Amino acid sequence: MDNQKGIVEIFAEKVWKFFSSVKLAVVLLIILAIVSVIGTVIAQNEAPERYLREYSQATVRIFDMLGFFDMYHTWWFVLLLFLFTANLTVCTLDRFPHTWKLVTAPLKPIDDDSLKAVPFKKEMVFRAGADKAEERTVAALKARGYRYVESRGPGSAQFMTQKGIYSRFGVYITHISILLIFVGALIGSFFGFKAFLNLPEGSASKVVYLRNEPMWDQLMAALGIAESPVINDPQVGVPAMPLGYYVRCDNFDVDYYVGPSGMPTGMPSEYHSTLSIFDLDGQKILDKRIRVNDPLTHHGITFYQSSYGTIPDSRGKVLLNIRLKSDVSSAGETIAVAPGAAAYVPSIDRTIKVLGFAPYGMRNPATGEIMFYHTDNDEYINPTVELEVYRGHGGGKPIYKTAVMKTDPGQPNMPENYVITYRGYPGTRYTGLQVTKDPGVWVVYTGFIMLCIGPLIAFFGSHRKLWVRIQDRQGQTVVLVAGSANRNRIGFEKEFNRIVEEIVK
Amino acid sequence: MESSLLFNIATLAYLAAMVLYISYLAFRKNAIGRTATAVTLAGFVVQTAALLLRWRESYQMDIGRVPLSNLYESLVFFTWSTVLIYLIVEFKYKTKAFGAFVMPVAFLALAFINVAGISSDITPLVPALKSNWLFYHVLISFLGYAAFGVAFAISMIYLLMNIDEKGPVSNLFAGLGAIVVLAPIGYFMASQGDRMKTAFWLGLGVLVLAWFVYLIVAGARNKSQVFLFWSFCITLAIVLLVAMGIDFVYLISMKNLAAGESYKQHMFESTFLNSSTPVTIVSWAAVLAVFSFIWSKGLGLRGLLKPYIPAQDLLDDVTYRMIAIGWPLLTAGIITGAVWANSAWGTYWSWDPKETWSLITWFVYAIYLHARYVRGWKGAQMAVISAVGFLAVIFTYLGVNLVLSGLHSYGCLN
Repeated sequence: MDNQKGIVEIFAEKVWKFFSSVKLAVVLLIILAIVSVIGTVIAQNEAPERYLREYSQATVRIFDMLGFFDMYHTWWFVLLLFLFTANLTVCTLDRFPHTWKLVTAPLKPIDDDSLKAVPFKKEMVFRAGADKAEERTVAALKARGYRYVESRGPGSAQFMTQKGIYSRFGVYITHISILLIFVGALIGSFFGFKAFLNLPEGSASKVVYLRNEPMWDQLMAALGIAESPVINDPQVGVPAMPLGYYVRCDNFDVDYYVGPSGMPTGMPSEYHSTLSIFDLDGQKILDKRIRVNDPLTHHGITFYQSSYGTIPDSRGKVLLNIRLKSDVSSAGETIAVAPGAAAYVPSIDRTIKVLGFAPYGMRNPATGEIMFYHTDNDEYINPTVELEVYRGHGGGKPIYKTAVMKTDPGQPNMPENYVITYRGYPGTRYTGLQVTKDPGVWVVYTGFIMLCIGPLIAFFGSHRKLWVRIQDRQGQTVVLVAGSANRNRIGFEKEFNRIVEEIVK
Repeated sequence: MESSLLFNIATLAYLAAMVLYISYLAFRKNAIGRTATAVTLAGFVVQTAALLLRWRESYQMDIGRVPLSNLYESLVFFTWSTVLIYLIVEFKYKTKAFGAFVMPVAFLALAFINVAGISSDITPLVPALKSNWLFYHVLISFLGYAAFGVAFAISMIYLLMNIDEKGPVSNLFAGLGAIVVLAPIGYFMASQGDRMKTAFWLGLGVLVLAWFVYLIVAGARNKSQVFLFWSFCITLAIVLLVAMGIDFVYLISMKNLAAGESYKQHMFESTFLNSSTPVTIVSWAAVLAVFSFIWSKGLGLRGLLKPYIPAQDLLDDVTYRMIAIGWPLLTAGIITGAVWANSAWGTYWSWDPKETWSLITWFVYAIYLHARYVRGWKGAQMAVISAVGFLAVIFTYLGVNLVLSGLHSYGCLN
């Protein structure tokens, strides 16, 4: 009666057996490798119009049904990954006890029966006597750093040793690291989010706009346990996640590589934004100048420089600085003027009128003539401001007309005793921030580190066992050397042969 | 530009080494073998110097960056790592037999740079690439690719040595027939618009994959199919290199590239994608001829090489060792890329085509390692997996940039 198994047990056993098979692992790897190709051939997460342009309506419908447009997040692909994880877990649990027994079991003296399973063995008659044999064995083992155990019986002595036993764990470190990466990714999608924020220069926000809502919040809201913190404002259309503090963009700027002539080449060398964090009471907490590859993290939420753009029809003001030529060290006076408007500067008794702003101007060094270039995406490659300067509070004819540019502080083109320089054009551009919270990332990184170490241990470590038996058989000393290695057998064979040689000589 | 002069010297040294290693196999004179090693070593030293010099030149130009960030530099570095790994294998295994197979790869890669007209200008880095991770990521990935490249070359030798008969001529006809049938279908479907083109490539991919899977599963038993696979790999390598070489000559002599156009847009236009139908037909006829020639002469080559090639067990073992080195490097390459992506974009994995293909490659070699460790496979099947893995490496490295699009920058061939 005892060996009669219930249907549940049989089923559980079958499932366990199914998942503990390496064949399943190889099959899953093959399937994963093949289906992953689909998402690299079909562009992922594009606008529906683009798909309709590329494929027929029927194809789009079929692809959409199969989830090919966001393939790596479809239920069936995630299911494949889960099957793979289950397989990996069960394989690991299934084999680990055996390995553990192997590692913890004390090394046993070898007998003729177990000798059959040992791949390397050599038996020979030793003429110099048992004592000499023992002496040489100990020397050969010690020279190679083998720590040995002795076992003595009537007329026989045995030296047993093993090395590199830890290498048996390499495969488990590798497998567990992959599990950790999966777990970390799950933590990330349950408790983290990915969002974006387009923040105009000079403005602040206490929310970011979600690309995906944390699954935990969704789940809790669906179960009615807790309300999601996400704000769904139908006017905005995109769900917003409150930060718990304000983030402000003080300034956004692009640096360009400078060409041989000293003028910017139009090839960006760095994008950076200066961000400030304020608590909800308006107290400033910190600020940081972020750039690509160097984000800002506050309360687990990280802000990455990701894009930028111009706000259409924005009415920003050009910042100009005026300083006397004679007074090089002074900070001068800074004014803000909207294009088309004018401002009186008391320190020089002049009125400066801003005629226009251009994102990319260049001055011909020979003629002084200014040329304007088109820029993609309205990049401010070399902002240029055209000015007219009037006497006193304005009125009458302009004294002169000039232009100041970012790279050329206008020095040579200032006929009077002061210099006007360009300081910026705030309020007209926004910085595009990628915002993420991923509490699982450290779990993933732990997995990464283990995944770098595990294979090295598994492939380059080798569990080597050696036995040297010195027997007295009818007055003759017979030496038996036996050994095994689970990796790098060729290398071990060489070592084995050298040990044999050193003992027999 | 002193560095480009040094690169040219290295290219010539590798050409000489290739000739020497092949003559060593043919004449078996130790002096030739020693000279071959010396020339390779000299070429390697010169190339190392060239890489360092290029690094310094970038600082003199005020750009200051690691010479590992565009297609030109990555190909140069790929060659450098391949030669490095080859030299290690030569010293470790005390055999010069592989030189005749590895050095052509190194020379052809360098020649490809010149032939394909890949720009060698030191260009500034876009902001996303300005990171210390660039160095580690590219260095580790390319060492991994190089190890896989050596594994591939040795697998090809293994497969050739493993075959004792060509098998029925019907195999050759089946191979030729497949080309004759599939090529026109491809042209027809491609002319029907992008979606039919995608459908064709997907269909072809499924067919090829099915064949690979069959070979891996039945690899040891069906030797004539394995020989067909071997001929296919060798033909593919030759045809791709020659076609790209012709493209280059054609583009220089016939027309110049308009501004903003890249070589990629004109790939195979002088052969398979030529506007004149006769040229296309002649190109495909040439493919058929190369394929038949390799298939019929393969055994002859085997007979010639047989006395000089180490035992098959050793070949199998070296292949495994190369993969045991390459796979952890690939793993570390993917990981450094992921960590870098996380610091630049806030996401360590975004399933971009390059990432996905590197993962596919990782899967293929993971299959290799499991088949070997757990199922105890050896020999021909493993060599086939190793070859398929390297095809995936090549696609990850070049194909993704040429065919698909993504975040990785060095794909621009112009």
